[in-house]
Amino acid sequence: MTASDPITAAAGDLAPAASGAITLRDVTVTYPGGTRALRGVSLSIAPGEMVSVVGLSGSGKSTLIRTINALVPITSGRLLVGEQDVSRLSGRSLRELRGRIGMIFQGFNLAERTSVLSNVLVGRFAHSPAWRSLLGLPSAQDKQIAIEALDSVGILDRAWSRAGALSGGQKQRVAIARALSQQPSVMLADEPVASLDPPTAHSVMQDLLRINEERGLTVLVNLHLMDLARQYTTRMIGLRDGEMVFDGPAADATDQDFEAIYGRPIQGRDVLGSAP
Amino acid sequence: MSAAARPQLRPPSPAADRGAPSLPPRPSRTGPTVAAVIAGVIVVLATIELDISWTSLGEIPGRVANYLVLLFAEPNWEKLPRALFETWRSVSMAWLGAIGCVALSIPLGILAARGVGPAWVRLPLRWLFAIIRAVPEVVIALVLLTVTGLTPFTGALALGIAGIGTQGKWVYETVESVQEGASEAVRAAGGSTAEVARWALWPAAAPSLMSFALYRFEINIRTSAVLGLIGAGGIGTMLSNYTNYREWDTVGMLLIVVVVITMLIDLISGSIRRRIMEGARPRVVDRTR
Amino acid sequence: MSTHAQASATLPRRPTHRVRTALILAALIAFSVATCLPAIGGVEIDLESITRNWRNGASKLQQLAQPNLAFLPRTLGPMLETLAMAVVGAVTAALVSIPVTLWAARPSNPHTVTRQLVRFVVNIVRSVPDLVYATILVAMIGVGTLPGVVTLILFDIGVVIKLVSEAIDSTDHPYLEAGRAAGGTQLQINRRTVLPQSWPLLTNQWLYSLELNVRISAILGIVGAGGIGRLLDERRAFYAYEDVSLIILEILIVVVLIELLSTTLRKRLR
Repeated sequence: MTASDPITAAAGDLAPAASGAITLRDVTVTYPGGTRALRGVSLSIAPGEMVSVVGLSGSGKSTLIRTINALVPITSGRLLVGEQDVSRLSGRSLRELRGRIGMIFQGFNLAERTSVLSNVLVGRFAHSPAWRSLLGLPSAQDKQIAIEALDSVGILDRAWSRAGALSGGQKQRVAIARALSQQPSVMLADEPVASLDPPTAHSVMQDLLRINEERGLTVLVNLHLMDLARQYTTRMIGLRDGEMVFDGPAADATDQDFEAIYGRPIQGRDVLGSAP
Repeated sequence: MSAAARPQLRPPSPAADRGAPSLPPRPSRTGPTVAAVIAGVIVVLATIELDISWTSLGEIPGRVANYLVLLFAEPNWEKLPRALFETWRSVSMAWLGAIGCVALSIPLGILAARGVGPAWVRLPLRWLFAIIRAVPEVVIALVLLTVTGLTPFTGALALGIAGIGTQGKWVYETVESVQEGASEAVRAAGGSTAEVARWALWPAAAPSLMSFALYRFEINIRTSAVLGLIGAGGIGTMLSNYTNYREWDTVGMLLIVVVVITMLIDLISGSIRRRIMEGARPRVVDRTR
Repeated sequence: MSTHAQASATLPRRPTHRVRTALILAALIAFSVATCLPAIGGVEIDLESITRNWRNGASKLQQLAQPNLAFLPRTLGPMLETLAMAVVGAVTAALVSIPVTLWAARPSNPHTVTRQLVRFVVNIVRSVPDLVYATILVAMIGVGTLPGVVTLILFDIGVVIKLVSEAIDSTDHPYLEAGRAAGGTQLQINRRTVLPQSWPLLTNQWLYSLELNVRISAILGIVGAGGIGRLLDERRAFYAYEDVSLIILEILIVVVLIELLSTTLRKRLR
């Protein structure tokens, strides 16, 4: 993409602290009920990597991805994003960190009664003074960033539509635009395609891949489908019962590796199929 | 992966050809704007009509604060026994009114439900409910007191009659919502109207109806105090009297009693209602099995 | 299964709780009896007075059935005042209710202490009946529309905040997580997502409070708080039940009209 693109340009301007490196050292998460969702996970992700986290539901992959922006606090261990220790952040500094980490969700998590544009402007929360969002007066720059983000996922023409009126694939694109308008250095995706039909799922995965390739974002995507992990990501992390049981190039992961991650023989529902 | 393999994506750099992307034109907002202007004009006209003196409005917070001190700084607890006696009178009015209201509204409401009574019964009943809903309880009490005098009994009667409007509506709405599947099954088995009511409608509707009955009691607790203000007796009458005497410390005590009793009854009645509705759920599941 | 086996089959014992049912019934009857004992404050049920005086009531109903249309011009001013009170009360309460409702709902205020505090205050406000407010406010700030409007505001905010905050609690708000993940403050998230999502709940309840206001403000005048209730009370004091009837009829028509208006508005706002 050309240097004139403000999103890429702005992302390039980020300070080293905001780089997309993620480091986990012996991270454990125990929920208040006593459930241990992560057990001693250590890994290090370089800026610009495209990583999938694979496992069955309940394996801890959702927890893993939410520890990175502190939606789930870690119980012990150390977690660095760039050079910042996430567990030490709170209040303003935490919001600033979250402002640099985009996130998309299985259920899209849009405010369905408001316009697509308003939803995308949610991504500017951490980057603009609070009075602007309270009065509903985004700055011209924020608005332009939101427009570019919508344009880059190809739904700028729906900017004024109600988010609830869109199809599932369109909603996930709005969610991606919302995350992109944060001008993030890391993109987290929690089962982004699990609610979509196969062709739409592939196109959303391609959007994520393009974001990774063109903007150099670190992308961490939760998947439960082995073929998507193999096809779109370069590195794969396998989780089973909160423990990391696989870490290696996604393309090299054999069926046996997947069986070890799933803890059972491979079944038809582990594959999406119909690759474009 | 090559660009050709991603047909859904726009070509990489059309932005360079078109210049910076811009928003499509915003859809017309004339309708909402006109509506907002009309609403604004109505509010302004209403405010002018009220002719409130804005200068005296500024003094009000100070004056209210002053009175709050008079009311609650040292509530007069000496008259508490009397207050509790009058409270029981209000609760009694509310309770008997609720019993009367429920006893009348359940049969009438069932008759007014679609699919139970014939249209010539249903429509007049619904009109009756609508009319009663529109007439304030106080007005009903004012008519009744020409018969039974300014007594708590009048209060109870007024509560019983005034509640029918809303209660009857709740009953027929509940019956209509439960009867869809259930009554067909009994009718298919050859049941008569009475049997449909007994074996299909009643079990499904009973929890909601009981819950509504308790809710009526909660509403009546508040309304009985209001009827007391016009002289039907109970805590409202006592409150009205001591307000007229300007014995603020006693009024403060009475207000505390009203608030505590009302919240207490809301709490008890609310938890019973929740138990009734929760108890109803597994039974419904049992029936469908 | 053979017919023989069927013949010997018996129903399992019906799982009733006879003792419990009997106890509940006994408690209800005891409570009801206690409410009928005048000695302890209960209601003295005086059915005899009905047989004795029912003609009084019947004649009042008869008078009520003949509204005096000639009285109409004198009712228009007070009726307008009643409507104005209802509107101003509902609008002011609506403005107050926006922040406080969000403050009282769990998704928009995760802070338990402040949330419970707001709810407690709202419950206290709600437990004082409307006419009691009016009576005391009239004594405090004098006869007129102002105590009436303040009464309506207090009544409306109680209803709106309680019902809407509970409705917000019981719905899903997936966008909250997205707002938080984007680094938004609770205030930003509330203003840009929770509020627009809860708009239908709020407007619905505002319209409902407007309907209730018309009903209530019709009687507030009885204690001196302005509106058509004052006229109603005055005509009743003169035993002019034909005039009272006209006023009631007018209230009825206005209430129905406001209901129709708010039903159409609700449909459009969805």
